[in-house]
Amino acid sequence: MKVVKVLSLFAIVLFSSNSIQAQKYFTRTGNIVFSSDTPMEKIEASNQKATSVLDVETGKIEFAVLIKAFQFEKALMQEHFNENYMDSDNFPKAFFKGEIVDLSKIDLSIDGIHPVKVKGALTIHGETNDVETDGTLVIKDGNISANSTFEVAVADYKIEIPKIVRENIAKIVSIAVNIDYELFKKKS
Amino acid sequence: MKKYLKFFLLLVAVAGAFGYYTYHKPHQNMNNATTQIKLSATQLFSDYQVDETTANEKYLDKVMEISGKIKEVSTDEKGMTTLTLESGDDMFGIICQMDNLTKHNQTNFTEGEKINLKGICTGVLMDVVLVRCVKV
Repeated sequence: MKVVKVLSLFAIVLFSSNSIQAQKYFTRTGNIVFSSDTPMEKIEASNQKATSVLDVETGKIEFAVLIKAFQFEKALMQEHFNENYMDSDNFPKAFFKGEIVDLSKIDLSIDGIHPVKVKGALTIHGETNDVETDGTLVIKDGNISANSTFEVAVADYKIEIPKIVRENIAKIVSIAVNIDYELFKKKS
Repeated sequence: MKKYLKFFLLLVAVAGAFGYYTYHKPHQNMNNATTQIKLSATQLFSDYQVDETTANEKYLDKVMEISGKIKEVSTDEKGMTTLTLESGDDMFGIICQMDNLTKHNQTNFTEGEKINLKGICTGVLMDVVLVRCVKV
């Protein structure tokens, strides 16, 4: 009887332990800001509705964003962005599929700020390029957030800037990604 | 000669003003925006589930009035409110980001509340996302 009790207690502990290592993390409120800085003009647009999934077991990280959800201060710039540069009617999304390198080497159960390398495939305007960038993974009170700022050459994604505004838009734009994750709970 | 000069200067002034106003033109006023499509949240979600490409052709960039029940209310650290509407799906719904360029009459929303929201459809990731939403 005692053995059964001990075994069942052991089983309960085993199956209820939510070790951070076996979890998928998710958000639909990821924040992405892109900026273009030239002597002529500083352009900035932000999107607060990026989705992202992080699988801490495999290190796989993905995020997706709707182009038309980027908000600019100037309505005209937002129009040009969608109609002329990004062609968002035909390419409504941009996404990244990759992995955090050596995530298993990080102890995610301890609060801390961890520098990480992320690499994978970034698709913008229908064009895909392999990218590798630095980022940080922040663990605080059991919550995970990921941040990274990287640069993208506009031409790599076949985005054409018309001659008339070529001085106003940078050839290399900066993209800042800030994602606060939640545990992905499947509703049974 | 003077007449032509005056006319020319006037033309330049008008062109300049036009250029200035176009460059600085404000985002459309969402309260005044004409609704292009009226739909229920469940219908919108289901249309996107059935065929995303066709749904985008119909709805992308359109000013839509969506009726539904609030599933979740959330406010981010910048004070921006987002309402998620019931879609008939357990996990995903219609996300409506309230317009930060509009002064809203109602700023407190409750889960379960029936509501009509006007916003611009930006497509679907896992949920259908509408931005610049105002209560109708």
